[in-house]
Amino acid sequence: MIAVRFHGRGGQGAKTASRILGTAAFSEGFTAQDSPIYGSERRGAPVSAFTRIAKEPIRERGIITRPVLVVVADVSLIGDPAARMLEGIDERTAVFVNSPLTREELRAQTSLPGRLTTLDLTTIAVREFGKRGAISALLGAVAGRLVGLRPESIDRAVAQELADLGVDASLIRRNQTAARHCYEAVPLVPVEKDVRGAPGPTSLRAPTYDPPTRGTASITAGPNSAIRSMSGWRTFRPVLRPDLCNGCWLCFANCPEGAITIKPDGKPAVYYPHCKGCLDCVEVCPTDAMTVERETEATKTT
Amino acid sequence: MAWEYRIFKDLHQIPREEHVFPGTPLCAGCGGLESLRLAAKVLGNHVVYVNAAGCFTNLASFPFTPLDASWLYTTMGSAPAGAQGVRDALDVLIAKGRLPQDEDVKVVVLGGDGSTYDMALSSTSGAITRRLDFYYFCYDNEAYGNTGVQLSPATPYGARTATSPCAVRNPVGAVQEKKDIFEIWRAHRPPYLATVSPRFPLDLEEKFARAAAYRGPKLFLGFAACPTGWLFDPAYTPDVARLAVECGMWPLKEAIDGNVVHTYLPKLSPIEDYLKLQGRFRHLFEPTVQKDALAHIQATVKAYWDRVQQGDSV
Amino acid sequence: MTAQMMTGNLAAAWGARLADVDYVPAFPITPQTEIVETLSKWCGTGELNARFVTLDSEHSMMTAAGAAAATGARVFTATSSQGLLHALEVLYTVAGWRAPLVLVNVSRALASPITLEPDHNDVLAARDSGFVQVHAETCQEVVDSILMAYRIAEDPLVCLPVVVNLDGFVLSFTREPVWLPEAQAVRAFLPPFRPTHLGFKASTPQALGTAVLGGSTYSYFRHQIHLASVNALQVHEQAAAEFERCFGRRYDVVEGYRIEDAEDILVMSNAFASKGKAAVDAAREQGRRVGLLRLRMIRPWPADAVRRALRGRRAVAVLDQNLSPGQGGILYQEIAACLYHDVARPRALCSFIGGLGGKNISEAEFHAVFEQTAEAGIQGQGGGPVLLYTEAEYREMEQLQFLAHDLKTGR
Repeated sequence: MIAVRFHGRGGQGAKTASRILGTAAFSEGFTAQDSPIYGSERRGAPVSAFTRIAKEPIRERGIITRPVLVVVADVSLIGDPAARMLEGIDERTAVFVNSPLTREELRAQTSLPGRLTTLDLTTIAVREFGKRGAISALLGAVAGRLVGLRPESIDRAVAQELADLGVDASLIRRNQTAARHCYEAVPLVPVEKDVRGAPGPTSLRAPTYDPPTRGTASITAGPNSAIRSMSGWRTFRPVLRPDLCNGCWLCFANCPEGAITIKPDGKPAVYYPHCKGCLDCVEVCPTDAMTVERETEATKTT
Repeated sequence: MAWEYRIFKDLHQIPREEHVFPGTPLCAGCGGLESLRLAAKVLGNHVVYVNAAGCFTNLASFPFTPLDASWLYTTMGSAPAGAQGVRDALDVLIAKGRLPQDEDVKVVVLGGDGSTYDMALSSTSGAITRRLDFYYFCYDNEAYGNTGVQLSPATPYGARTATSPCAVRNPVGAVQEKKDIFEIWRAHRPPYLATVSPRFPLDLEEKFARAAAYRGPKLFLGFAACPTGWLFDPAYTPDVARLAVECGMWPLKEAIDGNVVHTYLPKLSPIEDYLKLQGRFRHLFEPTVQKDALAHIQATVKAYWDRVQQGDSV
Repeated sequence: MTAQMMTGNLAAAWGARLADVDYVPAFPITPQTEIVETLSKWCGTGELNARFVTLDSEHSMMTAAGAAAATGARVFTATSSQGLLHALEVLYTVAGWRAPLVLVNVSRALASPITLEPDHNDVLAARDSGFVQVHAETCQEVVDSILMAYRIAEDPLVCLPVVVNLDGFVLSFTREPVWLPEAQAVRAFLPPFRPTHLGFKASTPQALGTAVLGGSTYSYFRHQIHLASVNALQVHEQAAAEFERCFGRRYDVVEGYRIEDAEDILVMSNAFASKGKAAVDAAREQGRRVGLLRLRMIRPWPADAVRRALRGRRAVAVLDQNLSPGQGGILYQEIAACLYHDVARPRALCSFIGGLGGKNISEAEFHAVFEQTAEAGIQGQGGGPVLLYTEAEYREMEQLQFLAHDLKTGR
């Protein structure tokens, strides 16, 4: 059995990618199973999705803890503990990362284990679709190529899954074009055809009674959410040009996150770890002092 | 029609102190979160938020909370009753000398439109009738957002949701009219009642400041522009929120002891300006323009403002 | 200390009054209404220094109750039947908050068809909520159990809400002598409620009842409720000893009646257990060595006490005043489960369903229960569920069906 795990952020299309792969495999006569897992969090939050492909009936359910291929839609997921992207990965796992870096550069920057391969899907998507949005077809195509599915079945699966989502015909065609391009361009790495042997022993340890201060789902250390970095949510970032800023505070007033603070001189400043990249500040700025820059691997870690 | 006296005349008067901190799991560009953040700047941190099931449930998600105030998650149908229990207990404990007066907190219900317009209507009505001293903040994104955007009683005519799709048999999408919760609330004669929009931050801050003078139910209906549910890029939250007001679909108003005053007179720009920004209305324009539906929406808006012009209370 | 004649409902109200509760959120429902009417009156006169508020539904009532307890007030509330089920979602919520309060449920059978008289499907529907459950047989036990319930609920080893159950009509509206504890003595038995983990103070904000994402975090908190509930067994033991010292009455998690030398034992709960005891006496006079085990605490499940009482017997009959359609008696299953591993388990375990919708259980029916149980013990073959329903009742039902469907009145 081939077990593929997708990691994305809400809105990037990891779930649909897992379906494209599942549908394509099924159409080639395999038994397939695909499923997503996510919290009630939405756009920007980590999402995982799973596709299992086999010749025989699949006797597994739920999350994939020991994948043979991991497909990562966003490099910021690698360092995000909530994404659990590194779980079950070792040197024999094939790992695809959507990134402009080469596998060597990525290895140097992230010390990711596994058989790495990369392709800059975001640039392809922006070029093909002209805006930020889902890259599900691209992820599905890359995964399909790496596990050895045929391009025609990927093509049909992209059309079927996107049509189910209500995507219009012209955008589906552009997705198919981009997906075919990614299918051909992704550098190949070997993907093992079988899940490896039994896991090591686990010792059971049921919690004992804790006093009610801890035994109920309460938080007394708040406000503490600000220790989380939201940087990984961004595809673009707002950048202030202080020379153009008139100090009107519209950006400060309109930032849903409270990521914009006012400096002693009365001018705003974006605190990037708190910025989700909604760009509302850019939209409201009357002097165009807030500008937009595309996120890169280097800037995303700030 | 607008007020004579205002505390908040300039954006620079918006308190710099934050009480809703960053790092929430809510969507980028959430208009509801933006309104809550602005409201909390006036409410302060001596607050307990009594939350109903909805998108805001994710605000306090173990082990993180963005609030420097307290929080109690109740159910979808009974947050106002939770507010009743908290308020009553605080009063009793203070009266019996078991809680110092300076430890008192304001009680603020947070509910989405799904909870506010339907399921919690019984407990809300009860709380208003009992003159419970509390704030109610509804973040209205006109759909069951947290479950993936389905039709709610707040969904406006012509909007497409996951359960009011644009289909051959029903090309318009939602065929209901948005329930007028403002008037349902007003019929209870609460001392203070207002609509707010995050794109009108001074109006919002002003209303929360004014409401503080009133003891009893203080109700806020907040326009929660929703990039995820309404299908627009998060960058356009401010534009969507502004145009909803300017085209007359989201009147900014307040009612003190039942007397309605519109706090902003919109330009009444064509509703198409507002609708075209959002994917949930795209089927009204493509592949063919649904003229009847658009005319219906425009006529509904016009009828509302005609009544306002004639001096009717709404 | 003198006894007075009072109903189970009045006894319940006295329990709240003696516990000196701070807050009573209420909603009327038959046959519970007299409790909240009485408390409303006392709050009005000042005999009880508490705030009384009528909510818009039991769902709201239970939310207000839990929220007030979470704020640090001692809370009492009461409901019945449909009301308990309307509040069911909130029972789980409040237990998760670990908010101690006492809820009295006056049992009444569930619609449909709607009726007013008791059986226990209402309170057993709340079985898995996390509430501790105590079921009372007498009006005296109602007031005493409420006082013990506050002590157990507020213990830091438990911190869970408690439901005290009494049967509608046969207890709620039935007067019998009740010795009311002195308020002074109650204060010694029940210390003031000063929780350290609850409250919404300006100086120390806390978020309570937060969302959790992921099964392992959820498992941890849900399991904590289980551990807290299990702790209630030992805390009940301490409370029972202290209660006996203060007031001279002793309540255990189960009550044995003439079981010492009993061959066969009948298991019951709530008010009809009184009838069961009389049936035991009658059977003993006919030479049957039988006894009765009354289940008083249903959650936490007193497995050890049940095993101790039932091991080594020839046969055990469980008379459930409830019905799980498609399965049978609910308590029968729990008793069977906890006897499974006992090497000295009874040779036969018989299931009877009786008293649904308050239907009387006649002496003849009890006689049949003992007879069938003895035979099962001899054969080593239990069985059931057997519905207790007499020939006369069967014929009466036929007559009613005739009137409902067959009699043509010529209209």
